[in-house]
Amino acid sequence: MEHLQAEMDALRNEMLEMYKIVLSQVERAQTALIDNNLSVVKEIASNEKLVNAKELQIDSRCETILALFTPVAVDLRFILSALKININLERIGDIADNIARMVSHTKPGFDRALLEKINAKGAFALSLDMYKNLLQAFEKEDTLLARDILIKDEALDNITDESVSIAEEYTKGHPDSIIQAIPVISIMKMVERIGDHLKNIAEEIIFLRRSEGT
Amino acid sequence: MTPFDIQGLKGRRVKDRIFTSMVWLLTFSCLAVVFIILFYLFKMGIGSLNWALFTQGPKPVGEAGGGILNAIVGSLMVVVVAAIIAIPIGVSVGIYLAENRGRKLSDYVAIAIDVLQGIPSIVIGIVIYIWIVKPTGKFSALSGSIALAIMMLPPIIKNTEETLILIPTTLKEAALALGASYFRTTLKILLPAGIGGIFSGCIIGIARIAGEVAPLLFTAFGNPALNFNVLKPVDTIPKVIFAYASSPYDDWHRIAWGGSLILVLFIILLNTIIKIFESRWKVQF
Amino acid sequence: MEGTILRTENLRISFGDNNVVKGINMEIAEKQVTAFMGPSGCGKTTILRAINRLHELTPEAKVEGKIFLHSENINEMEAMSVRRRVGMVFQRPNPFPTMSIFENVISGFILNGIKLKTDEKNEIVEDALKKVALWEEVKDHLKNRSTSLSGGQQQRLCLARAVAMKPEVILLDEPTSALDPLSTAKIEDLLYELKGNYTLVIVTHNMQQAARISDKTAFFYLGELLEYDDTKKVFTNPKNEKTQNYITGRFG
Repeated sequence: MEHLQAEMDALRNEMLEMYKIVLSQVERAQTALIDNNLSVVKEIASNEKLVNAKELQIDSRCETILALFTPVAVDLRFILSALKININLERIGDIADNIARMVSHTKPGFDRALLEKINAKGAFALSLDMYKNLLQAFEKEDTLLARDILIKDEALDNITDESVSIAEEYTKGHPDSIIQAIPVISIMKMVERIGDHLKNIAEEIIFLRRSEGT
Repeated sequence: MTPFDIQGLKGRRVKDRIFTSMVWLLTFSCLAVVFIILFYLFKMGIGSLNWALFTQGPKPVGEAGGGILNAIVGSLMVVVVAAIIAIPIGVSVGIYLAENRGRKLSDYVAIAIDVLQGIPSIVIGIVIYIWIVKPTGKFSALSGSIALAIMMLPPIIKNTEETLILIPTTLKEAALALGASYFRTTLKILLPAGIGGIFSGCIIGIARIAGEVAPLLFTAFGNPALNFNVLKPVDTIPKVIFAYASSPYDDWHRIAWGGSLILVLFIILLNTIIKIFESRWKVQF
Repeated sequence: MEGTILRTENLRISFGDNNVVKGINMEIAEKQVTAFMGPSGCGKTTILRAINRLHELTPEAKVEGKIFLHSENINEMEAMSVRRRVGMVFQRPNPFPTMSIFENVISGFILNGIKLKTDEKNEIVEDALKKVALWEEVKDHLKNRSTSLSGGQQQRLCLARAVAMKPEVILLDEPTSALDPLSTAKIEDLLYELKGNYTLVIVTHNMQQAARISDKTAFFYLGELLEYDDTKKVFTNPKNEKTQNYITGRFG
């Protein structure tokens, strides 16, 4: 069924593009926060439109394939998982955009020491690591890599959980940093949610492959 | 088994056996008759199958020997010419009937064919006598062939029609859909597909007329001499069988048996041909 | 519509007192697959057969209104020349049983009395059989009877026979309904490839087939054209309620 295969291949490509676009959004958010780079914030805002457009494109293609080809078995599971992955990626993109906004609203920038203490860098690094693994897991349909992500998400949750008490400690010693503490904790929570969405996607990939014994 | 099954079971078994045996018996007796005739024919006729039978004409009364070469040639001529006349007409009418089912004219033609089939052969002979022999003033093999051709028409037409009807319409549609004319469709697709059945119809027609005497009495008439001219009278095998058998001479009786055997062998040959070619030319749709 | 190749103008077809097709106005685009679908008796096959004038085989059939091939009125042309430009593939594979595979492919030329040289014949046969993905399977047995092929192969042979005439339009009347799923899939792939060079109009009872291979779908009901749009639109968001009922299987 060449026609169906062509459509499925196109869908796969569009999803890879979505992965990559959203990945660069998260990387930009990291740059914005860690390097306190505000020019990047504008880029994120304009790319957000691209993310939304891509999401609609993927939804439309899934709808087309379902309506015209009534796919079954592996094809059907792929489409259903694509729809869920699509939503999760779009949310991640949203979160990256929100992080950027928060950074740009917090003038003159975050206290570097605070960021050190709560290990914002580590959190981001871990989430990006998870993301890149996820991309690989999707491309290679590798469920072991996907399971790895579930483990890493736990580690990420630990970091972000601890960051609340660490921030609390810090503000006791540096009272002027209280204004920043709240947005910083928000951002850490947002990074945690990025991890959660990545975990959801990983579970979809595992589910997709489950019945095939790989 | 419930009581209802056992009830009458024995009676049904007996009835079944009686019925089966009866069918067997009747079939057997039918075949037996055929075999007895053939056997007797062989027994009486085989003795006269010699070279002379095939190569000589009749000898004058009293002289021994002689043959029926003139009748053999006459029969062949009359049958071949009849076939030449009847086959094109018969096949064409068959095609017409197959293609125009449901039309009033087709119905009338079909009735006419049925009536034609029922007309006694002697009547056909007389009619041709009046139409052709009397006006032209002479007996001829040709007039005999015309009479026989008329008799051949019904089996040829019927077989052609039935064969063509069995060809799926989708074949005709496929040909027309390619832009073919009706004529080419019939010639290149329908007739080749039906060739088995049409051929059988022709052979059946030939078998039907090969043994006819009555229609030839007033048309081909008879001719003791060897004759290759269709416009002159000829003798035919069935006629000489009749003539020789009703004579008082033993010698001529012997020749009559020989002639009968030849005739029957010819019919058997025709039927064998039908069987062979029908399976060879069978077309799968 | 751009690139229209067939157009009907108030097309009405009746058989005796029975009005089967009631006033159809539609345009069929060139080099695309257009599917006709609808419940039994809706007139889709009747319309298809009117396009190559095969309705004329039924004496009581009456066609009113116009059908145009490009700008020529089909009913004013010679029936045979219409049929040379508009090919047809039927529901049951019907290769000519008395002809070989080779002869079947060029049967259109044979039946039209067109004389071809040997190398012309060979070229046409090879080209047509390759187009229907049958060449490799039969190239060493071209002299075999066409009836020695399987059902799916026979249908591809019929497609080759139509394609060999280089028609402008190919009409297909439920071409895969008598075939097994594998052969059906092969033929659907073929049709998808062929549409680059030919206009295809396909009547199908199988709406999933219409969804899979057609660019435009027409939905007929009781002799009327209820919906006619891009296939994607018809199957994701049909405008007519009856269309929706039909494709969701909620009819009747």
